[in-house]
Amino acid sequence: MKKKGSFLAPFFYKQSKVLFSGDSLNLILFTFIVLLGFTSYYFGRKKAYRIQYTKKRLTALPQFYGYYLAIWCAIPAFIIFSLWAIFEPTIVKLLILSDYSNQGYLDNELNLIYEKTKSLSRGQFTGEITPFIEASAKKYLNLRSIAQSSKVVIVLSAIIASGAYAYKRISSNSRTREPVEKFLKAVLFTASLAAILTTVGIIFSLIFQTIDFFKVIPLFDFVFGTHWYPAKAFVRDSSEALDPSMYSDTFGAVPIFAGTFFIAFIAMCVAIPIGLMSGIYLAEYASIKVRQYAKPLIEILAGIPTVVYGFFAALTVGPFLKEIGNSMGLDVSAESALAAGGVMGIMIIPFISSLSDDVITSVPQSLRDGSYAMGATKSETIKKVIFPAALPGIVGSILLGVSRAIGETMIVVMASGLAANLTLNPLESTSTITAQIVVILIGDQAFGDPKTQAAFALGMSLFLVTLCLNIVALRVVKKYREKYE
Amino acid sequence: MKKNGVKMIKISSKNVDVFYGKKQALFNINLDIEENQVTALIGPSGCGKSTFLRCLNRMNDVIDICRVKGQIMINDFDINDKSCDVVRLREKIGMVFQKPNPFPKTIYENISYGPTIHGMAQSKNEMDEIVETSLKKAALWEEVQDRLHEPGTGLSGGQQQRLCIARAISVKPEVILMDEPCSALDPIATAQIEELIDELKKDHTIIIVTHSMAQAARVSQNTGFFHLGELIEHGSTDKIFKNPENKKTQDYITGRFG
Ligand SMILES: Nc1ncnc2c1ncn2[C@@H]1O[C@H](COP(=O)(O)OP(=O)(O)O)[C@@H](O)[C@H]1O
Ligand SMILES: [Mg+2]
Repeated sequence: MKKKGSFLAPFFYKQSKVLFSGDSLNLILFTFIVLLGFTSYYFGRKKAYRIQYTKKRLTALPQFYGYYLAIWCAIPAFIIFSLWAIFEPTIVKLLILSDYSNQGYLDNELNLIYEKTKSLSRGQFTGEITPFIEASAKKYLNLRSIAQSSKVVIVLSAIIASGAYAYKRISSNSRTREPVEKFLKAVLFTASLAAILTTVGIIFSLIFQTIDFFKVIPLFDFVFGTHWYPAKAFVRDSSEALDPSMYSDTFGAVPIFAGTFFIAFIAMCVAIPIGLMSGIYLAEYASIKVRQYAKPLIEILAGIPTVVYGFFAALTVGPFLKEIGNSMGLDVSAESALAAGGVMGIMIIPFISSLSDDVITSVPQSLRDGSYAMGATKSETIKKVIFPAALPGIVGSILLGVSRAIGETMIVVMASGLAANLTLNPLESTSTITAQIVVILIGDQAFGDPKTQAAFALGMSLFLVTLCLNIVALRVVKKYREKYE
Repeated sequence: MKKNGVKMIKISSKNVDVFYGKKQALFNINLDIEENQVTALIGPSGCGKSTFLRCLNRMNDVIDICRVKGQIMINDFDINDKSCDVVRLREKIGMVFQKPNPFPKTIYENISYGPTIHGMAQSKNEMDEIVETSLKKAALWEEVQDRLHEPGTGLSGGQQQRLCIARAISVKPEVILMDEPCSALDPIATAQIEELIDELKKDHTIIIVTHSMAQAARVSQNTGFFHLGELIEHGSTDKIFKNPENKKTQDYITGRFG
């Protein structure tokens, strides 16, 4: 008995429409919980007013009674609701597939059966339909509708039960402020925990992929190899990929590390002097009026998206340098480290000028007075008192600038080319860690492929470098702060 | 000091008015400061004592909105004249501030700062000598002689203030201006500074702003009383404290306002 899916599909589709579709039901339920939470706030508060009316003294402000009731109404229901959303699909899947157990299917085949079942039940299945699948699809729909109705019942009864409990507690005028405060603390804690866990998760995925990478490519080859040519790894087919010797001389990271630091160096050569001088000007020389307008203007530079700097570098600065070079008889590539680094430097100027302006301004006025009173001129005062006093903060701002330069991607991708040349000639093109990660991950990638893992190894090295820079920078800035407080 | 029985006038201000923007802070101040004496300036907060003090070494130049009118003569030379070099002026007139403000440098560098700027030492030896005599004059040498190369900010409050005094006298100024130099210090440190001021008046003319009537009586020979930007009365400390002419002065000294 073989039928075309399209023939049966409307039937299933209709049946599934008997109830709400799963998504809209969830939305309705969720909205309901939220609305109930809000209304119960007013109920709780009203209750508190009523208690107050009978001349009894409340243990907390009426709002706390409202919050207390709202939390009790909404949170247990919400927790049940979320757990349900997480576990329902897994349990349904288990139940469906239990029919197929002991029949010698592989995991992949089971997954396929389940997917077929699901799409048939949604009426989107177009392949051949076997009676087995049809039966499963019916069972699936059945299970889903049972699950949905029981979810509605359970969530609603949870709301009623916990709400009634809390309402009763309120009437007996028990404490509400402490539980509400505790709840807020828990929410804030969860938020920060989520941030931390995400970071940790990212770091671990970096670490594991990096370890896998170094199982295939020796660490030594990566750190000291001078040929970076990941495209070579891509040409091979997967059977060859298992042979590590094929990758020798492919993932030597020296050229891109060198390129990264070289371009960052060029960028800092532009950013440090200009940034620092404008910072000093703003902090010490500019009148209040000038400062008022100049500082936001400079900070706008920091808000320009890097891709804009990127095409500025690629379309304007690069060709310009090439023309100048050609007119002097030099061979300048249109995509040069100089163009990328120079524009990157301009991008970093506002970071350095704005931060150093801040640290210089925060040097206490009493030190300036002390120096002027000794007969020092303004420039002497800046050079001998203010600059040394602000130096740690300035170093901190420079280090933050360096870590921006090292992490910058777009400008390099657009303006300095993608070929990893090992060169110290600023007129040639070089590439950086970030640009190579882009190169590697553009196009089709398979997980577990050394080429993909190479991106993780690069990401890891980048992370380590910027981490160290940031730690040092923060330390330095903190030390500076302690000195004056 | 007296010369032929006449007290020498070191600084003389005539019709000095000071404005911060549109607000007038000092009104027509006429005050003569005698050489090698301690002159105390007293008066309630905000009456313009610091403003007057800052006129004398032109520290008010640093404040954009501040304008000074009138004549201030030091050694018969008008310091507000165009030909006056502020750098030389401040070499001649040192200043010590309310809150000790040593530079975040070593003790040695704090003292050598001024002499370096004014090119006073030709060699390392000369500089060492300047540092040593300055610290000795400021009664700090004993305490810091074996840690000259440690940061000046690591000293106690009283030591820091004496370091600032040593820094001020390192360029051998003729006049030292002190703006409430003891207000951030404990009584023992205060006593040390007062003793020091008494020593310093042999070589320097000292003008000290103080909040403490007792301190003015202890350290000064002359006193000027400021009120709301005006110089109400001035004269010998004895006279001001025992027999003031003006009712306001009397009220202030006896603690009836302020
Ligand atoms: N930098 C300034 N800008 C504006 N007004 C000031 C400034 N410094 C002092 N003043 C004003 O001038 C008056 C005298 O101040 P100040 O000389 O500091 O008084 P004192 O030292 O006697 O307490 C005060 O009213 C004060 O508000
Ligand atoms: Mg004052």
